[in-house]
Amino acid sequence: MSNLLDIRDLKLAFKGLSGLSEVLHGIDLSIAAGERVALVGESGSGKSVTARIILGLLQETPNARVSGEVEFDGRDITAMRPRDRARLRGTEMSMIFQDPTSSLNPTFTIACQFAEVMRRRDPRMKQAECDARATEMLTEVSIPDPERVLNAYPFQLSGGMNQRVMIAMALVNNPKLLLADEPGTALDVSVQAQTLRLMHDLVEMHHTAVLFISHNLGVVREFADRVYVIYRGRIVEEGPTDAIFHAPGHAYTRALMDAVPRITGAGLPEVPEVSDDFLAPMVRHDGGAA
Amino acid sequence: MSPVLRILSRRLGISVIVLIGVSMLIFAIARVIPGDPARIALGPNATDDQVAAIRAEMHLDEPIVAQYGYFVADVLRGDLGESLYTNRRVTTDIAEFLPATLELVIVAGFMMVAIGLPLGILAARHRGRWPDHVVRVLTLLTVSAPSFVWAVILMLLFSFYLPLFPVAGRLNDSYDIARTTGFLTVDTLLAGNFAAFIDALHHLILPAIALALSGIGQAARLTRANMVETYDKPYIEMAQAFGFFPSRIARRYAFKPSLIPSLTIIGLDFAAMLGNAFLVEAVFAWPGLSRYGVAVILRKDLNAIMGTVLVIALTFLVVNIIVDLLIAFLNPRIRHSTRATS
Repeated sequence: MSNLLDIRDLKLAFKGLSGLSEVLHGIDLSIAAGERVALVGESGSGKSVTARIILGLLQETPNARVSGEVEFDGRDITAMRPRDRARLRGTEMSMIFQDPTSSLNPTFTIACQFAEVMRRRDPRMKQAECDARATEMLTEVSIPDPERVLNAYPFQLSGGMNQRVMIAMALVNNPKLLLADEPGTALDVSVQAQTLRLMHDLVEMHHTAVLFISHNLGVVREFADRVYVIYRGRIVEEGPTDAIFHAPGHAYTRALMDAVPRITGAGLPEVPEVSDDFLAPMVRHDGGAA
Repeated sequence: MSPVLRILSRRLGISVIVLIGVSMLIFAIARVIPGDPARIALGPNATDDQVAAIRAEMHLDEPIVAQYGYFVADVLRGDLGESLYTNRRVTTDIAEFLPATLELVIVAGFMMVAIGLPLGILAARHRGRWPDHVVRVLTLLTVSAPSFVWAVILMLLFSFYLPLFPVAGRLNDSYDIARTTGFLTVDTLLAGNFAAFIDALHHLILPAIALALSGIGQAARLTRANMVETYDKPYIEMAQAFGFFPSRIARRYAFKPSLIPSLTIIGLDFAAMLGNAFLVEAVFAWPGLSRYGVAVILRKDLNAIMGTVLVIALTFLVVNIIVDLLIAFLNPRIRHSTRATS
């Protein structure tokens, strides 16, 4: 089966003063076209760097050592020239960040930033065309008064509004893959849930594949078709969302699930920082797309 | 009222208060310096009667508050009195010397912005790599030596060992140019004398560079520091994630937001050049206001001191207002704020 994204034996190390420190120890991950996949783990587990390697950003950091294959749409990203990688960003793949308000340029209006993004695809687009298309996209993310938002600066909009703007911006060029790094973690829970539902419907409609990065299994359950659990630079469990939630096979996955806050409020569970069980071999659930 | 107008009116109001404060301060300080201005002006051979006459004419025997009252009344009529040093109206002196200094400072200020900012952008874009190191070492050199040292070094190098530039003055004596604006580069062009224009420019370059060097270094270092900080902001990563060219990211995403904090200091540096110009003017025998100012202070020429200080203070205020308006223009947060911020 041909996947949109195929990561094979991806390793990453950072060169520091005390030599190389390895961050990813050989990750395998795949996403089919239009599939929603979640990568779940605690902070520092290597999920964000994985997204940045897919985007081709980390390869350009001088002290990062990347090895392995990242095949996107039939082409190996790690072997590409930086310029070709940059060409894919913003057009074939795009990314949504944690804090929407500080991720938008504070000195330009939303309309201006939309135009910048759209001109990545078609540099000759006129401002009026850009505005029309942006209005369309903003309506799709349920923004009631797109005109006002287009003429506003990010600091004049609420966090939830900026989140929708960012989603619209990320999808305006119809990318094949959307990377979402803890989207909306900086927002309050109800706004986050709203925008995630919105994003879910939109990517389904546009048939956009998503790599959804989160530490929160509860959020992932609502959103993803398939889940990878990552711990300390290794994938420890992989399978369809239902299978993982019904029968978590790996000790670390169970610990993560216990860490989801419950409304019944039993207090925070004890999750050991390191446990021998967490280093147990990977658990794979069958029935996944890959 | 639009926010820009509000900023402008508020700034103008503050400026008037600052001017009054500065005039009071300098008025008091100038009169505390020991020595009788009338005696200094007339010289040791003057009779006591002559000295007394001048003192009466200048109201020097009256209480200081009354003296300040006379001074303010004169200023409001546009009269700054007569200089005891040049025996001319202070306004005439200022009109003659100010354009020379302004010409120097404006060219130096232009160099500061046109060279300093791009150097800072270059360093920030390649932070941690060799272009950054080169810029940082060079700018450290320019910042750490005062402008008169640069004036002497530049003069030695480029006027003496390598006679590329004239040693002193503003224009070769062989040219007779009518002074309409006092800016020789403008006047020569108005006179249609292109050879004289080139000569004026030729005279201007070395002193302007000497005056600008520390400002260039300062502007470059400031821009670099602010941009390096901005490069860590999430919207830079977002711009990278959208695949914009590094040069575009540097310009639109890192430089523009960083310019706002840099601009205030660059504006102050620009105004401070007016004072720093003194030593450069001294080295290059440049007939400017800074040189005039120091000469009149040494002779305790009260009217001329007040006039010079007022003009310099006024220039500071005007530059500050321009900077504030520029910042308001660059920073949408100020332009769109519903309340005026100071």
